[in-house]
Amino acid sequence: MTNVYVHGIGMTKFGKLDSSLKELLLEASTEALNDAGRPKIDAVFVGNFMGGSISNQEILGALIANDLGLGYIPSTKVEGACASGGIAFRQGVIGVLSGEYDTVLIAGVEKMKHASTPDVTQAINSAMDTTSTEKHAGLTFPGFFGVLANRYFYETGASKEHLARVALKNRENGVRNPLAQFPKPTSLEEIMAARMITDPLGLFDCSPMTDGAAAIVISRKKSPIHVRSSAQVSGPTQMQDAVDLLSIPAIGESGRLAYEKAGVGPEDIDVVEIHDCFSMTEIIATEELGFFNRLEGWKAVEEGRTKVTGDKPVNTSGGLLSRGHPIGATGIAQLYQLVRQLRGNAANQVANTPRLALAQNLGGTGSYSTVHILERV
Amino acid sequence: MKIYSCCGTDSITKKHACPTCRESKHEEKEVSDKGTVYSYTKIHIAPAEFADIAPYNVVLVDLDEANAKVTARIQEDVEIGDAVKLSRVEKGAYVYEKVSNTSAVV
Repeated sequence: MTNVYVHGIGMTKFGKLDSSLKELLLEASTEALNDAGRPKIDAVFVGNFMGGSISNQEILGALIANDLGLGYIPSTKVEGACASGGIAFRQGVIGVLSGEYDTVLIAGVEKMKHASTPDVTQAINSAMDTTSTEKHAGLTFPGFFGVLANRYFYETGASKEHLARVALKNRENGVRNPLAQFPKPTSLEEIMAARMITDPLGLFDCSPMTDGAAAIVISRKKSPIHVRSSAQVSGPTQMQDAVDLLSIPAIGESGRLAYEKAGVGPEDIDVVEIHDCFSMTEIIATEELGFFNRLEGWKAVEEGRTKVTGDKPVNTSGGLLSRGHPIGATGIAQLYQLVRQLRGNAANQVANTPRLALAQNLGGTGSYSTVHILERV
Repeated sequence: MKIYSCCGTDSITKKHACPTCRESKHEEKEVSDKGTVYSYTKIHIAPAEFADIAPYNVVLVDLDEANAKVTARIQEDVEIGDAVKLSRVEKGAYVYEKVSNTSAVV
């Protein structure tokens, strides 16, 4: 349990945007600050992964503090690959928990669409152990989840169609989310026939390159949204080191810790945003977080249990697959969606306004995972 | 192929410290590079440095003589369970090949 509460949220449209990194950060942060009633901010944390390598822009924390007139306060950029946003949020939570800060602004941002796909893929590969033999063999992030998916198919009754059903569900949710990157409906047939990225993952199984930002204001002062727990774990950095290829221990362990700290279990969670960087990842994560039995997450997809109308709605925002995946912003965008679900005004609002919500943000091929549990109080 | 063992765990990668005992006392042993395909993918969309060889196959090989796996590139298309062996080491990467007469391998 923490003494931390959410006071404001903000998010830009996700997609291909003309705005600079700084403009995206300022837009999302201003919205979050206004939503919170423009409180005095004691510190800023920013989640970002490739501002330096792709946009040649660092000092993101100071840019926010300076341009928003927040005063001479500490600001910090946090990097944890695709978990940069979740880790930045956790640093803010810890800052409040420690007693050092009363109120903190956390923002996440990425700008990717201006660069070529090979260059972005190359930059993303910096989240691998670049001295490893598997990096030299040409393994990529989609490649890791392709290898995992083929083994998952081999050991279960799952097939490419189950991956397609995840992608279709998240697209259906994204179509109804005005901030999502992909407004265009699709079909199971189109997903199954799409060009291959890394066997068996096709175009719709992979999260896109995206520009966007999201921001959140937290405080020790009470609000109707309580941060019930925060957990973070590191895991293996190489595929060839995995004890079990079909398990991502960082997800499972961060979930276990978050449930323990919150005093709740997976059965208590009403709505979920998880890190579906690939359709396969969503299925594995739902197993690791205890929503479904190990190697049975694909059955839950088949039964529609993870749809908005299911008993365990997953990625009502459209997820990374359809909301989009501006890397450093993703962890904060997940929280944005969950806060709106708890407030009862979300895109794809779950019936009977949920009380407990869980966000899981993954970095690398299981190198980092954060889990946050929010509660409507 | 060199394998590093400590506290009952084998690995192709040499850790600075063992995750169980946290000591740096790994036993190094030489094992056969032969193994079976544990899983695979064909990478069509490659990072810039591998774009010239795409599409290419990456396999996770379960080594026959150790409780360890190794990630490698392989020329041929493969299935899970195929017998494979090391062909060469190229620019820091293990490049594997199918054992030609798979049916003869037990």
